[in-house]
Amino acid sequence: MNQGNINKNVKRWIEPDRLVWVTLAAIIIFSTFASEFFTSTRNLKNVFLIQPIGLGLASLGQVFVIISGGIDLSAGAAISFMSCMAAGVMKSFPNLSPVWVILLFILMGAGIGAINGFIVVKLRVTPIMATLATMNILNGLTLFYTKRTIGGVPSAFRFLSDGRIFGIPFSIIWFLVVLIICYLILNKNKIGKYIYSVGSDAEVSALSGINVPLIKFLAFVIGGVLVGLAAAFLTARLGGGGPRIGAFYEITVISAIVIGGVSLAGGVGSLFCAAGGVLILTVFANIMNLTDLNPYTQVVFQGLLLIGAVGFYSKQRVG
Amino acid sequence: MPVEDKHILEFRGITKEFPGVKALDNISMSFRYGEVHALCGENGAGKSTLMKILSGVYQPTSGELFYKGQKKIFKNPHQAQLDGISIIFQEFSLIRNFDVVDNVFINREPSNKLGHINRKEANRLTEALLKELDIELDVNANVGNLTVVQQQVVEIVKALSVDANILIMDEPSAALTDKEVRKLFDIIRMLKAKGVTVIYISHMLEEIFEICDRVTVIKDGHYIGTKDTKDTDKEGLIRMMVGRDIEDYFPALPAKQAKAIMQVKNLSKNNKLTDINFELFEGEVLGVAGMVGSGRSILAQCLLGIEEIDSGEIIINNQKQQITSIRHAMDCGLGYLPADRKNLGILGPMTVKENMTIANLDGYLASGFLKKKEEIKDAEAQIKLLNTKTPTIEHSIGNLSGGNQQKVIISRWLLKKPNIYIFAEPTRGIDVGAKAEIYKIVRDVANGGNAVVMISSELPEIIGMSDRIMVMNEGAIEGVIDQHAKPATEEEILSMAVGHEYVL
Repeated sequence: MNQGNINKNVKRWIEPDRLVWVTLAAIIIFSTFASEFFTSTRNLKNVFLIQPIGLGLASLGQVFVIISGGIDLSAGAAISFMSCMAAGVMKSFPNLSPVWVILLFILMGAGIGAINGFIVVKLRVTPIMATLATMNILNGLTLFYTKRTIGGVPSAFRFLSDGRIFGIPFSIIWFLVVLIICYLILNKNKIGKYIYSVGSDAEVSALSGINVPLIKFLAFVIGGVLVGLAAAFLTARLGGGGPRIGAFYEITVISAIVIGGVSLAGGVGSLFCAAGGVLILTVFANIMNLTDLNPYTQVVFQGLLLIGAVGFYSKQRVG
Repeated sequence: MPVEDKHILEFRGITKEFPGVKALDNISMSFRYGEVHALCGENGAGKSTLMKILSGVYQPTSGELFYKGQKKIFKNPHQAQLDGISIIFQEFSLIRNFDVVDNVFINREPSNKLGHINRKEANRLTEALLKELDIELDVNANVGNLTVVQQQVVEIVKALSVDANILIMDEPSAALTDKEVRKLFDIIRMLKAKGVTVIYISHMLEEIFEICDRVTVIKDGHYIGTKDTKDTDKEGLIRMMVGRDIEDYFPALPAKQAKAIMQVKNLSKNNKLTDINFELFEGEVLGVAGMVGSGRSILAQCLLGIEEIDSGEIIINNQKQQITSIRHAMDCGLGYLPADRKNLGILGPMTVKENMTIANLDGYLASGFLKKKEEIKDAEAQIKLLNTKTPTIEHSIGNLSGGNQQKVIISRWLLKKPNIYIFAEPTRGIDVGAKAEIYKIVRDVANGGNAVVMISSELPEIIGMSDRIMVMNEGAIEGVIDQHAKPATEEEILSMAVGHEYVL
């Protein structure tokens, strides 16, 4: 009886929704000992309030897509594409209000998401192939348009990443607003319920009268909008449109949310845990930088972390 | 022309064609208000297709459907639901990682204009429905963690939450224990009293006579007839369904043989199996009976190396074996027909031929390449041998009826030639006609010098088929009945299965 209780308690702590935070705490504690720079105000602010925003936004988008049973490999290429396009626009119209530029990012993101969704739903191409193709197309278009960074992003727009309100970085404020909106959509709204349902079992969902193609499409569009916001943040941060700014982003994003307990099989996962996964990756990268670990070794460690996480979850879900 | 008032639903000349198959041919029949109407017929007869037309999953190729006197066409399940037609599918249509409330209200969540879900209201409504049915269930429990009967309750609540006028139940009792079936019947009676028409699809004839007012038989896509259940009996119904008599339903028991193929000694597994001892003889069918959770499946899994044993010995053909994996078990001469055909038996998208040869590909290899001609030859021979109905051997197994799928899986093992066959629920969800054929196959397998362990929850099947019956209870063998000495009765087996303390 007693042992059963202990086992139950242990089990609760290794469920994804807690394990993510336990792991994060462990890495943070480890980091405070591993490097004296880690706890400097400057570094903490950077690691928790600024650094993870871009990855975080793109990850929120991927959460919608993956929970619906899809996957978006084009996210990184889409970020580079949108960054260069918007930078080009800002260069041509230096006095354009940042609000319009952000709207442009949102529209481009929604458009790319809609194209992905269309290919998946109407042409019946599997999400992995559809977005692999759009990834190539977007990369090609971007490099056709420019091979080097397009500068001249007005400082008004850079407020998105570098601005402060009462000393608090503006980036974290609007990120939290976006996170709450996403939470309301995914966890409190019908659309979110249907996204989970379609990702859990598309056939059952259809038999329950849910418009499965529409939900899959919507998940791509919402995901696209969030990727657009990520691109806006990264462009502001860089101060220009970078043709390689989103390179390999899709892989990092997928790693982050998988570490956060989102199942690639669809239907399972939470936004907050995915955000926790983003923080784990960010802190992990930060401490490896601070300890001057060889960059190639860093990539190896990231890979190992991912395998560890996926292996752990799959064992849990089977057993 | 208006339909007679007492009929809630009428089919007129419904025909449904799929590429190459006429699933339904000119079906005309009607259902009354507030009746429980059984629909039976062999697998593949067209019952499910007809119900899918009624519930909007399929549309008929031709023919008309009158609902409450009006001509209707349901384009999708949602439309049928809105009109008060609910269906509980044989394979439950529940989202496993959603809780009860979310499953009940899927696609009909109480919500505001922005789509924000009113969770409290949904909770309240679900609890009210459960109370109406007099059932206690945690509405916030994940459906994946519920028992099968609880899941069924969720299905029923889900169906009722739309104010169903017609409730279609496809094999509702297939996975239930006797006691749970009682509860199900109580619910059906309650629905009937409220004027709901229940369409009850089942192979369990006893149930049909207990709960249904009328019964309609469909065969090969044709309407055969409708009878009041009080005007007919089991034999009459079987005659309608298969067009033959019941006498040769179970093959006769052969003479007793006595060479042990397998011996199990003192086998235990933590708290699931205690001190299991038995012998399995050549040429016999050993029936394993017991309640759900009595240890029957675990025992099979231990013999097959799927579960590890803590102590004990398994001796096969006079050799002690430490079976550690199912591959090892196959090498020792075991073959396994799992109870969960859909998930553990068939490889759905693959062809009949591939499904037959998959367990024995080594037997078809010549310097690393598959000998296609032999595969084809063997597959064709098996189809003839077991009378499997499939358009060709290159047809996907997923498109066959349950009985024919089961025959293909049996063929898989016949080709592998094990000498110990473990059949778990070999006729679950299979109609009477195909059942009789499967019984004959099982007997033939045993007569061929092999031994069969048949785990089954259907007592008539256990009694009709087994040379000896081993009854399990709480992880132990409660007793073994030798039917050559004296035929067993259902009461005898049941009293053993629930433990001697309950015996009167």
